[in-house]
Amino acid sequence: MKRLKRSLLVQYVLIILFATMILPVSMVGLSIVFYNTLYKEESVDRLYNGTDLEEMWHRTAKGLEQATEKEIRDKFGQLNEVYTDANLYWVDAQGMTRVMFPANLSVREQWSATDAIQFMKDHRGLTTDPFTTVAFLGDQGINGFIVFQLPRSDMESPSDKLRAQYNFLFPIALLTVFGVFILISTLFFYRIRKRLLHLQEAMSISDQSGIPSPVAVSREDEIGRLELSFNRMVQEVEEGRLRQIEEEELRKELIANLSHDLRTPLTTIRGHAYRLQQEQLSEKGMESVKLLDEKIKYMDGLIDNLVSYTLLTTGKYPFHPEQIDIVRLVRTSFAAWYPVFENLQFTMELDIPDRQIFWQADPQWLGRILDNLLQNIHRHAADGRFIAIRIQEETLVIEDHGPGMKSKSSFQGVGIGLSIVSLMIKEMNLAWDIQTTTQGTTMTIRQRQRSYTNEH
Amino acid sequence: MRTILYIEDDREIGRFVKDDLESRGFSVHWLLSGEGADKSLAKADLVILDVMLPGLDGFTIGQRLKRKQGDIPILMLSARTAVDDKLAGLQFADDYLTKPFHPDELAARIDVLLRRSGKDSVEEIELGHLRINLKENRIETIAGEEILLTAKQHQIFTYLLRHPNQILTKEQLYEGIWQESYQEGDKTLQVHIRYLREKIEKDPSQPTIIETIRGIGYRVKQ
Repeated sequence: MKRLKRSLLVQYVLIILFATMILPVSMVGLSIVFYNTLYKEESVDRLYNGTDLEEMWHRTAKGLEQATEKEIRDKFGQLNEVYTDANLYWVDAQGMTRVMFPANLSVREQWSATDAIQFMKDHRGLTTDPFTTVAFLGDQGINGFIVFQLPRSDMESPSDKLRAQYNFLFPIALLTVFGVFILISTLFFYRIRKRLLHLQEAMSISDQSGIPSPVAVSREDEIGRLELSFNRMVQEVEEGRLRQIEEEELRKELIANLSHDLRTPLTTIRGHAYRLQQEQLSEKGMESVKLLDEKIKYMDGLIDNLVSYTLLTTGKYPFHPEQIDIVRLVRTSFAAWYPVFENLQFTMELDIPDRQIFWQADPQWLGRILDNLLQNIHRHAADGRFIAIRIQEETLVIEDHGPGMKSKSSFQGVGIGLSIVSLMIKEMNLAWDIQTTTQGTTMTIRQRQRSYTNEH
Repeated sequence: MRTILYIEDDREIGRFVKDDLESRGFSVHWLLSGEGADKSLAKADLVILDVMLPGLDGFTIGQRLKRKQGDIPILMLSARTAVDDKLAGLQFADDYLTKPFHPDELAARIDVLLRRSGKDSVEEIELGHLRINLKENRIETIAGEEILLTAKQHQIFTYLLRHPNQILTKEQLYEGIWQESYQEGDKTLQVHIRYLREKIEKDPSQPTIIETIRGIGYRVKQ
């Protein structure tokens, strides 16, 4: 019941009911009000209506059938006090005009039959002014007749006058009632609309996490319940997001721990392989130990790549892009690799300009890309004994003379290392291509455009 | 004898590293956790810290040790992924090595760190026709002829000697010596090196002591 009372539907039905009822009810209501205020009982005991007056006059005539002139004068005097604007006179059987009110009334003194008929012709009718009524005195008019004339202007009752004065109020009152109804229904709709818009606004505005903030619940009607559901949904989404963050943290921790657990025994193995190397070993034994060390190094790289790849694909690899001087970065990265290639008697060509070239990139990432590419050359293209690094305004080119990436001798581990390079390049909005033949490989990394958006 | 404080919870690795470093002439004080590290710090010339330790982790211990003795070189060892640890670790650590490392590399890093911090016991280096005394800042030829360098030349040469076999880029050298950021195209460093070579090289046009790595920087091999 309480719920029903707060329902928008109920409110709406009430308004509609109100709308259908308002016309008859307000008509009747207004009429009652008008009647009560305007149609009051007449205070003075006199008549206004023509029919009533005529009846009154015939009644008077009946009462004066055998009256003397004095009685008639008294009666006329009484009537004249009530109907001040009226003309009253008596014409006797001989056709003489007697007893006139007011006394200075100009009426013919002698009436012939023709005069009487002419008078009647002139003064009878609904519109003739003044209003005239004639009554015989005595049977067949043996005592003559009496005339009563009243100007039509005096036949309007005070309530008629009042009505005429205030008649315009009725439609205005009716219009006001309609106006109030339109206002109420508009307000009703406007309020709903406002609350819906408010809700829509709350849904489209979101904080940094991309989740809208809860709204204040205004009422307990349908929209109020919608707001409640919205708040509940926001809360659930927020909880889901927190859970996801937590899971991602756990996952990251798990990967870090996995890396630790794999590398710790590798460290021991490597240490002991090294110790074996110090012992007196046969040539074959030395070769085995050397191979052991190489494989440990390879596995180490593989673990690192796996971890990096997992972090990258889940968007958890730390990413801090900035304007970096790639000339400096390439120089620093290559400085670490220089002795490695030097030991393998590589021919090294460095075509690096003597000025700064800025790219928008994460220095750690670009360093990682270079490391992976150089590592690749070291492992798989060492036969070519050649490496060249060239930097131009928009491109970074790394070239080797190895057997090419498609050759059978290529190591299977190439995949993940290059996948990481590929992912990182894509993520940093750079572009790259590889041209590989059996004579060598050329890798080109280029800046795609100056404007850079951080989508990470 | 140089003393190393080594904190490592893995007994196999710890045993091996301790043996190896001792065979290389270091005195190693090995702890299984950060407990008691403070006490041993005073005697140590260098600290090797594992990142994953029971109780307090390596980063926390390292920061604590650095606060206590700011000039002690710290080398971090980690078997965790290099991705996030490296950044956090290097803020206070002087170097960082990931497991599985080669014992030779560990020893080389220790040498570099000790030399950089001036705790190297090696006082004299023979380099080509030169004999350099790092403690007394004296450079002379094998024949006994003393070479006098200007302050800047000496700084540059010492900086290169403290980073043996390492290629230092122009930027690294400039910023390490002048303590301000390098402006591309600045020839100051080249000019100083040219004068330095005129003093220390036998034939300045064919330098053997300070090697130019074209396009990258300079290196002193030892």
